[in-house]
Amino acid sequence: MRALRKLVLGETWTLPICVVLAVGAAAVLRMASGDAAWWRDAGGVILAALVLAALAVSVRSSSR
Amino acid sequence: MAFLLTMLGAALACGLEMLEALAIVLAVAATRRPRDAVIGALAALVACGAIGAVLGPALIGRVAGEPLRLLIGVALLLFGLEWLRKAILRLAGRRSRSSSYAEFLAEREALAEEAPPPPGRPDWPARIVAFKGVLLEGVEVVLIVAALGARPGGAAPALTGAAIALAATAALGLVLHRPLRRLPETELKYLVGLVLTSFGTFFAAEGLGVDWPLGDAALLVLLGVYVAASQVMAALLARGRAAVEVPA
Repeated sequence: MRALRKLVLGETWTLPICVVLAVGAAAVLRMASGDAAWWRDAGGVILAALVLAALAVSVRSSSR
Repeated sequence: MAFLLTMLGAALACGLEMLEALAIVLAVAATRRPRDAVIGALAALVACGAIGAVLGPALIGRVAGEPLRLLIGVALLLFGLEWLRKAILRLAGRRSRSSSYAEFLAEREALAEEAPPPPGRPDWPARIVAFKGVLLEGVEVVLIVAALGARPGGAAPALTGAAIALAATAALGLVLHRPLRRLPETELKYLVGLVLTSFGTFFAAEGLGVDWPLGDAALLVLLGVYVAASQVMAALLARGRAAVEVPA
């Protein structure tokens, strides 16, 4: 089970938690926007920024 | 372009996973009997094939449209960001470089500690080590190919990439472990992390109702952004490390 968890979620809990938070935040924004044009146009950039934040947090946490 | 990127991502990701599996099988074959290594590896390949046959159609059949894209995106993000995180740490010198050859040596050393069974009897420890190694790497290959191939028009490039990786790894296996040392695995894994993360972001955003302004070309923009950001992260980490090592 440990090997399977490591396989799917990776070596740390930080990264999967950050990914869920990033995608979750994007989903909340989409719901709040009510599928408005600004979300359809800029949602990708917002998600990419959230993904980068998730990566930065996980790299920082691993490098300590 | 999406075809080429999907094929490249699948080929590199599968090739590197297969390389790690090959290192384990070679270690078992070199330390114990090649026959037991091959039996263990073949059993794992059959298991991976069965998982793929069940997972692929089930994934596409039960989940469709935006939820499927979101699911695939999140899966690719989990794989891609993990590869990218490790690559940044390696590029910054915070983690040892990736090496299937080192894995080969470690596995060989571990197996050499255990006495082999008498001739004529099956070597179950060797078979289990080969089986487990190939199964774990193989399941990752199946998951990545299923995720990349589940999007419309994605099956052909994902399967082509996996086939290229299989052929390249098999060819490498024939000339044994010497090329294993020469491969820039850290850089290749970094590239895979970048490609999978770009695809993951692209699909997850589509699953959340986003219309990418440039269509498939947005993948290249995402790739460029992640290259730049990861290089900055690696440089900052490396500078932090140098400052710790050489106090002013």
